[in-house]
Amino acid sequence: MITKLTRLTVTRLAAGLLALPLLASAPALAQTGTAATAAAAAAPSAAPVLGQTPTGQQPQSISEQEVQLFQQLKGDVAGRVSIPDKKAALLIQPEGKAWRDFRREDMPVIGGVIILGMLVVLMGFFAIRGRIRMEQGQAGETISRFNGFERFAHWLSASCFIILGLSGLNIAFGRTLLLPLVGPETFTALSAAGKFAHNYLSFPFTLGVILMFVLWVKDNIPDRGDIDWLKQGGGLVGKGHPHAHRFNAGQKGIFWSVVLGGALLSVTGYTLMFPFWFTGMDGMHLVQIVHAVVAVGLIAIVLAHIYIGSVGMEGAFAAMGSGEVDLNWARAHHDLWVQDMLGPRNDPPKPHPVAAE
Amino acid sequence: MARMKFLCDSERCIECNACVTACKNEHEVPWGINRRRVVTINDGTPGERSISMACMHCTDAPCAAVCPVDCFYTTADGVVLHSKDLCIGCGYCFYACPFGAPQYPQLGNFGSRGKMDKCTFCSGGPEDDVTPAEYEKYGANRLAEGKLPLCAEMCSTKALLAGDGDIIASIYKERVVTRGYGTGAWGWSVAYKDASAA
Amino acid sequence: MLIKRSAAPRPSASRSRIADAFASVAGAPVDRRSFLRRSGLAAGGLAAVGTLSLTTVRKAEAGPTIPGVPTEIRKNVCTHCSVGCTVTAEVQNGVWTGQEPSFTSPINIGTHCAKGASVRELVHGDRRLKYPMKLEGGEWKRIGWDQAIDEIGSKLTAIRDASGPDSVFLLGSAKFTNEAAYLFRKFAAFWGTNTVDHQARICHSTTVAGVANTWGYGAMTNSYNDINNSKAIMIMGGNPAEAHPVSLQHVLRGKEVNRAQMIVVDPRFTRTAAHATEYVRLRPGSDIPLIWGMLWHIFENGWEDKEYIRQRVYGMDEIRKEVGKWAPAEVERVTGVPGEQVRRIAEIMAKNKPSTLIWCMGITQHTVGTANVRALSILQLALGNIGVAGGGANIFRGHTNVQGATDLGLDVTTLPAYYGLAEGAWKHFARAWEVDYEYLLNRFGKADMPRDAKKKLMEAKGIPTTRWFDGVLNEAKDVDQPDLIRGMVVFGHGGNTVTRMPEVKTGIEKLELLVVADPHPTTFAALSDRRDGTYLLPICTNFETAGSRTASNRSLQWGEQVVKPIFESKDDYEVLYLLSRRLGFADQMFKNIKVDGVHPEPEDILREINRSCWSIGYTGQSPERLKLHMKHQADFDKITLLGREGSPVAGDYYGLPWPCWGTPELKHPGTHVLYDTSKHVMKGGGAFRARFGVERNGESLLADGSYSAGSEIEDGYPEFTYGMLKKLGWDSDLTAEELAVIQRVGGASPDGVSWTTDLSGGIQRVALLHGCSPMGNAKARAVAWNLPDPIPVHREPIYTSRPDLVAQYPTRDDSRDFRVLNIGRTVQTKAVEQKLADKFPILLTSGRLVEYEGGGEETRSNKWLAELQQDMFVEVNVDDARRLGVRDGGMVWVYGPENGAKARMKALVTARVGKGVAFMPFHFAGFWQGADQRGNYPKGTDPIVLGESVNTLTTYGYDPATFMQETKVTLCRIEAA
Repeated sequence: MITKLTRLTVTRLAAGLLALPLLASAPALAQTGTAATAAAAAAPSAAPVLGQTPTGQQPQSISEQEVQLFQQLKGDVAGRVSIPDKKAALLIQPEGKAWRDFRREDMPVIGGVIILGMLVVLMGFFAIRGRIRMEQGQAGETISRFNGFERFAHWLSASCFIILGLSGLNIAFGRTLLLPLVGPETFTALSAAGKFAHNYLSFPFTLGVILMFVLWVKDNIPDRGDIDWLKQGGGLVGKGHPHAHRFNAGQKGIFWSVVLGGALLSVTGYTLMFPFWFTGMDGMHLVQIVHAVVAVGLIAIVLAHIYIGSVGMEGAFAAMGSGEVDLNWARAHHDLWVQDMLGPRNDPPKPHPVAAE
Repeated sequence: MARMKFLCDSERCIECNACVTACKNEHEVPWGINRRRVVTINDGTPGERSISMACMHCTDAPCAAVCPVDCFYTTADGVVLHSKDLCIGCGYCFYACPFGAPQYPQLGNFGSRGKMDKCTFCSGGPEDDVTPAEYEKYGANRLAEGKLPLCAEMCSTKALLAGDGDIIASIYKERVVTRGYGTGAWGWSVAYKDASAA
Repeated sequence: MLIKRSAAPRPSASRSRIADAFASVAGAPVDRRSFLRRSGLAAGGLAAVGTLSLTTVRKAEAGPTIPGVPTEIRKNVCTHCSVGCTVTAEVQNGVWTGQEPSFTSPINIGTHCAKGASVRELVHGDRRLKYPMKLEGGEWKRIGWDQAIDEIGSKLTAIRDASGPDSVFLLGSAKFTNEAAYLFRKFAAFWGTNTVDHQARICHSTTVAGVANTWGYGAMTNSYNDINNSKAIMIMGGNPAEAHPVSLQHVLRGKEVNRAQMIVVDPRFTRTAAHATEYVRLRPGSDIPLIWGMLWHIFENGWEDKEYIRQRVYGMDEIRKEVGKWAPAEVERVTGVPGEQVRRIAEIMAKNKPSTLIWCMGITQHTVGTANVRALSILQLALGNIGVAGGGANIFRGHTNVQGATDLGLDVTTLPAYYGLAEGAWKHFARAWEVDYEYLLNRFGKADMPRDAKKKLMEAKGIPTTRWFDGVLNEAKDVDQPDLIRGMVVFGHGGNTVTRMPEVKTGIEKLELLVVADPHPTTFAALSDRRDGTYLLPICTNFETAGSRTASNRSLQWGEQVVKPIFESKDDYEVLYLLSRRLGFADQMFKNIKVDGVHPEPEDILREINRSCWSIGYTGQSPERLKLHMKHQADFDKITLLGREGSPVAGDYYGLPWPCWGTPELKHPGTHVLYDTSKHVMKGGGAFRARFGVERNGESLLADGSYSAGSEIEDGYPEFTYGMLKKLGWDSDLTAEELAVIQRVGGASPDGVSWTTDLSGGIQRVALLHGCSPMGNAKARAVAWNLPDPIPVHREPIYTSRPDLVAQYPTRDDSRDFRVLNIGRTVQTKAVEQKLADKFPILLTSGRLVEYEGGGEETRSNKWLAELQQDMFVEVNVDDARRLGVRDGGMVWVYGPENGAKARMKALVTARVGKGVAFMPFHFAGFWQGADQRGNYPKGTDPIVLGESVNTLTTYGYDPATFMQETKVTLCRIEAA
């Protein structure tokens, strides 16, 4: 069957291309109306013509010539097209290969190392440290940490980020991880929905990031205290709670990661969403790579953030849950902030019991 | 086994765009979708050459490699096809494609794209051969009818060759011998791993 | 409405692939069934996807019909350029559903260009004129055909009664079939005017005048296919890669197989030049100096074909004298081409014979168009390249049937077949049409005019299309006819095709009646601010009717009707019939033409052509023979065009290229290469036509010792008459019937009946029987004493960029011809005095794009083509652009030196044009000096792409012999917008 198709092809070539300079000597290539009859009639006579050995100078292999051509042209081969789609003027872009290699080979490694690495670290941390409890128990008295608007901003970004992250991860790894499980049909349905969600949820996500930036930037300016906090390992490792204002250095890190990472993801994301509006092919490649790498990085950071805000630390979730945190928790983690909030009337922070021992 | 390829002889191509409109005609390709296009390099200066370009149906096709939903497949004829039922229009294949082949209908929202469309080497898609369903999504299936892609069949100067890779390479080589010059087969070293054999 | 082909699957091929395994991306082979299973697509699970899917499949506009519907194959000819590509149409249920390559066509061998590959869209007709319309109070109103014909008829009659028939301008089309062209010319004759013209006026009228006056016939001497035989190819003033893409197949194959040198001479580095072995950039309008410069080297080195010149050329010594003035230094000064290069191309052409010379509108559309053509012809004569396979003057004509329409008399200077307008010609056609000569005479002039005055009008050249608006706008004393032009009937012709468009617009506005019969409304309908008195008649394309068309190589091809006329459109034949019936002369006009109801039969029109057009051998191409050729295309050789032995078309040349002598029964094979003495006349041989007498100033004009193979007269001889047959004693070979016809034609003096007026074909038959060419065997004329410049001399363009050369090479003096004035000299003098070259420092030239054709309304309405060229543009040289602050893709205003003209368009900054030269394509219309005119078209008929017309900016300048317009050289100023 295949040979038949091939023969048809040969015939078609003989009849159709007539590329042959030997046109005159090939009257036997008389063309017939249908390929089917042509196959029977002309295939045998086509063979000798096509089989003719080139004489005289031997041409270089086709690819050899092309390699030379590429060397002359140094990279992209671009020209002019009459259609308005100017990116169509890019004839050959070998860089596509670099991007493909990134997506096929580098990205799984980067994503795997960063995300799985973070999960391993968090699990290890949980195994060693367990849930960080409030040493003094609940004070029973609460202090307002985040108002409704602040919480709205946070959860707006957070909920979007989760869906964005999952749909993004699906685009990056779903083909390997999910497709075999659910089958192509469902996977496409999921992915299409994911793409749709990814496009639309980018807007509220960006809005949330902007709001958080505006709301919290004044409390997130790094200061000298952050260095001490960091020196003390933030109290996560070792003992004692270092002093901290409204946000400790760790939280500031999260803030700036989300703000800067979010901004970067937004900029690159919108560039991807409006392809070739702002940049050319090389730019699109770069933007996609940045988007992917920043995304997995931020996902990893947010994973840690989620961990510490939920299972990792007792009392932390309330800050973004009800907005009201237990005074003891606040005193432990944000002593200077509590002082600022309640004024000098309040007891000076007690030396941490653990640290005092 | 036949291994279908395109070869554009730039010494012959005169940018007449017959390949482009033949494609539009055969498949009723809508405005804005250019399955095939002609690019002119060194425009207006000595050394000007035009090259007709479409999907080259690469071996180890980059589009297939990067597709998040794995909607591509390669036929026994070496033609790279895809399923529009599976495609989600993400646009990744366009980034990976060395030849700018994938095309997307512009849909309503922002730069959001519809399902990818590209040259099928006139061989339809996964639906049954030569059916209305296949035609509607992918256009005509000439290969199934024993015909070669219309762009090449209608090429005004026989610059664009389509067919079994070995045969069109030999036709091309013969031309080069006859006339004593040639500028190579555009895209072959990028598209075909086995191109060095050609 | 229209659906796509289904093409029933061919069992042998289609199943093979299904069974084939295909490799998945992963590399593991999966057949398609398993792919479908794997993907769940086969199991009907698609619905689930469908509901969730947020992206959509863009549906093609029409799917294939149900497989199994029978597909009919119909063959017609592409309606765009003159190459004559066969179009193979697949028709299902009366709908054109697919287009297949026409591999068997000897001319295009399966191929097409962008236009040919998209012709199916023409009968989709999205933007076609769908029904007759009338402009009333500035609004387009739909009317019926009956009303349209009736109202047009009344208005025409009113104009005729008041001002005479010459006050209606009849503009025909190169898109007509031969039959429609002939019918249109006949319509004009019966209406009573010679003011009937078509596109040839503005493309190759100067070629026809130039070459016909040199060697006999105004046509390409060889063929596209014959270029395969050339050893050197020179293309001058032509860009066939865009204008005739399929011809490049033959050119490039000639270049490759023969390792032929390919010289391209053009001010612009065209797509054709990109494939040249030698590109020559010359200053636009300096063609004669370049050719004389080449001949200077040829004569200097003795490279001319001396024996050929001695035997077959008259007056070459006088040319030698003129050429002597063009020493290399002067050539370089005037043309800008380096002296060494001129010598090189002269040597290439002289030493690689046969060498062919190809030209197009870069040569013809000049104030020196005819002289240009003559100079090129003389070059080929000096090299002995005419009448030789692989040589020749391969003039690429423009439109699909511009050759045929010219041949059949859509020309203000002649009746069909170049019979002219003299009394003899009218009497010939009166006999052929079987109408009374006096009846025809009385159709001319106003009814109350004396017979002499009518006869004078009957024999006076009409007003050509380049000047029609002058016939409207000039003062009555400057127009040599009873009254000014008041009405215009346009069939298949754009309104943006002539220069000086601001005046064209005013002219259209002043017309009392404008009838546009076309598949599209055209610029005629949309350009002006007319509010009343315009009628639009929807004419179908040639794919919706049948008839023959003559390709540039003189081959006639019969096109079958692919589909019935769509919407309410009608074909040209029917509309001409309806008009002539309304005007009261249908009975006379269609006396010998079969009319089925209101449908004249094209086959029968061709038979009348066969019976009357003896002078150019349009007599052997009966519809039956042409149809046989179309059916047996595969039996013709792709280079010699000769029918294969043993086939039904054995020995015939494809399409019976004219002259195809005698009656169809004589079975003359047609003439592939004109004036080819190496062949017997009955095998397509011939010699130069003896058209200009037998001697001049004591020197014989007949060939000297040269004759076609097998000729019984082994020397030159004049054209054949009955008297000459008698002298030779060959009159006894005439049959009794033939003799009776000759005597009937000749009346009292039968000796004067010639090969062109003998309606029996007997004189031709007998001449051929003795191996002689009916048109004689003469010398070609290097000196054409009846032309304005008998020896071509260089003359600067009217608006020249080199005013310093005007004193030495001025244009010709003002004159009066074609019923109007030609004041070129006055305009030129004024332009120099006013130093316009300083105010308008850039030379503007124009040309063609591959995607569009002519005025472009049809092609710009074709979505597949329109997508490829969406903007009007001007090519500006890189240096000029930098100086002017113009960036690539930016908008510019271009100003012209006449009428305060300006146009706004995109700039394309490129080295393609030389410094100081700008180029514009001529296909655009619909923008007027910056204003969008889309609203002027009837709703839904506006072309997809609109743009400024180059002719808004083009200026005065007419060739003295044909009134060809100057489109290739004018001046302009470019400013960033």
